[in-house]
Amino acid sequence: MIDFLAAAIRIATPLIFAALGGILSERAGVFAVGLEGMMLLGAWAAVIGTWGTGSEMAGIAAAAAGGAIAALAIAIVTVRYRADNMVTGLTVNILALGLTTYLMRILSGSNGPVSVHLDPLPMMPVPGLSQIPVVGTLLFSHPPLTYLAVIGCVLLAFVLTRTQAGLLLCATGENPEAVFAAGADPMRIRMLAVIACGGVAGLGGAVISLQQVGTFTDGMTGGRGYLALASLIVGRWNPWGAAAACLVFGAAEAFELRLQSYGIPVSSYIVQMAPYLIALGVLALLGRTGKLPAAIGKPL
Amino acid sequence: MMTLHRRRRHLSAATVFAVLSVGIFSGSAQAQDKAAILLPGSANDQSWNALGYAIVKSLEPHGFTTAYSENVADADEAEAVRDYAGQGYSIVLGHSGRFVSAMQQVAPDFPKTQFIAVSGNEGAEPNVMSVDYNNAQFGCQVGLLAARMSKTHKVGGIYGLQGVPNITAQAGGFRVCAEKAGAQVTILYIKDMEDAAQAKEAAFSMIANGADVLTGKLNAAEAGLVQAAKEKQVYVTGRGFDQTAIAPDLVLTNIVEDWPSMIGSAADQVKQGKLFGTFVQYGYDTGKTTGASLKYSADKPFGPAVTQAVAKDVEAMAADFASGTLKIVPTEQDARSGS
Repeated sequence: MIDFLAAAIRIATPLIFAALGGILSERAGVFAVGLEGMMLLGAWAAVIGTWGTGSEMAGIAAAAAGGAIAALAIAIVTVRYRADNMVTGLTVNILALGLTTYLMRILSGSNGPVSVHLDPLPMMPVPGLSQIPVVGTLLFSHPPLTYLAVIGCVLLAFVLTRTQAGLLLCATGENPEAVFAAGADPMRIRMLAVIACGGVAGLGGAVISLQQVGTFTDGMTGGRGYLALASLIVGRWNPWGAAAACLVFGAAEAFELRLQSYGIPVSSYIVQMAPYLIALGVLALLGRTGKLPAAIGKPL
Repeated sequence: MMTLHRRRRHLSAATVFAVLSVGIFSGSAQAQDKAAILLPGSANDQSWNALGYAIVKSLEPHGFTTAYSENVADADEAEAVRDYAGQGYSIVLGHSGRFVSAMQQVAPDFPKTQFIAVSGNEGAEPNVMSVDYNNAQFGCQVGLLAARMSKTHKVGGIYGLQGVPNITAQAGGFRVCAEKAGAQVTILYIKDMEDAAQAKEAAFSMIANGADVLTGKLNAAEAGLVQAAKEKQVYVTGRGFDQTAIAPDLVLTNIVEDWPSMIGSAADQVKQGKLFGTFVQYGYDTGKTTGASLKYSADKPFGPAVTQAVAKDVEAMAADFASGTLKIVPTEQDARSGS
């Protein structure tokens, strides 16, 4: 059971980062459809940054920068040029896939495919707490970015509800005219929110490439950005709600892998659908009960 | 007016030069045979498609000029195959068994072109060929190796694309031979053979259930499988020397596929005018070209952990396959997910 829950946490960690980023963007009024592309660029930048500098910290910073660059493109096109959020996000997702592949090719030059293998980020058990039976293994024996995801939840929940910047950001997603009337610049707030979204989602990419695997491969985010998008909707644009939804999806995937081990006479293809079927089911159950930010997707 | 005439003269000269150039270049191209490969993904994916790129490049020493197309979508396969055949390529390779149907569709219009589906499992007379290695034989060898190296007598295999013939052959071969050697086998299928993070989680779940030797037939995801083995200190088999480099103490061996030999052998015969319309499967029983081999490094079949007695038994199995005294045809039931 501990192993199962630990797996759920591991699988959920990249989703949590992406969902937190998505909350920043959507609460400011821009649909976060481009999370997948932001994660992918972050995953690429994390590995190349670490490989190039020899510093994992530099790799993590590069991941945030990579995600932010993808987000900057979305911010300019959707906020400055008022383009459709959905189409722009999907375009950036496709662009990121091609761009990361192309950048790997530039690195390889004419000497064939480049192969980068790094040691994944090490475990950082919390002294003392990690010794507690069961809870210690489950909650206090993780690599660094897992703790950062929890810190991210705490910070974002605080910023959105307890700081002027957070309240202004939420107000921009609800009523940008009122924000303007109050003397703030809703366009600037949206731009910054989307770029911050990219930075945080980029860290989600770093979890996959730098913390879990130690290499970058084409399209390695594998649709996790979309699952994160579903999570933030299920979590009602609340950091803790979204994190809980990510954990549910993580548990579903961990369960799916274990379900196969039991040898139930069902095709693995059916079992593999579990996380997505759960996402669809929950979204259908919630329906329109959740209240979207009132001005989301509406150009300024 | 004068300017216009001059321009016309220049244009005519350019046209003549262009026509001559095309003539010269196409003439020289016809003098040398051409081979092209269609890749379902990117040529530098460090994985299956990179292997495809290496295959077509390996035909250059055989006297072929080569070309490749990347990210060929399912819907574009027939058009891409037709395009190369129409340009006079004598060999058009598709880097997956799924190209067979597109090739069957196009081949009647290009009877002098050899179409080859890499890792396919069916051919069509007279000029659509599939080539693969005998996955069952190598899966079986790895099954024996895993069972003999396991202390818990629990071993696991992680694969993708359940039901695809070469996966069924390797996963089924692994189960049959590992069970015969006394191990309890669990097989898991992940949804994406490129998803290293998911492969790592699948490996963790098996290790948590007691498996201490793992194998798999994955693409980019193979790195996740080996990484999991490294973190949990269990034995693993890979698909290339990259995996040996990740965990040199724990990698027992790799099933290293020798596509240049398999395709090169056919290419040489195509160059002499022969065409193939069958599924050609290489293995220990096909002479010098076995299609794959167990290699830990360029000059060693097994890693340092494998004892001489175990190595001898695994190699004896290869000899039995070669002599025909041992044959294996795994079923989908053998390759089922679970225990």
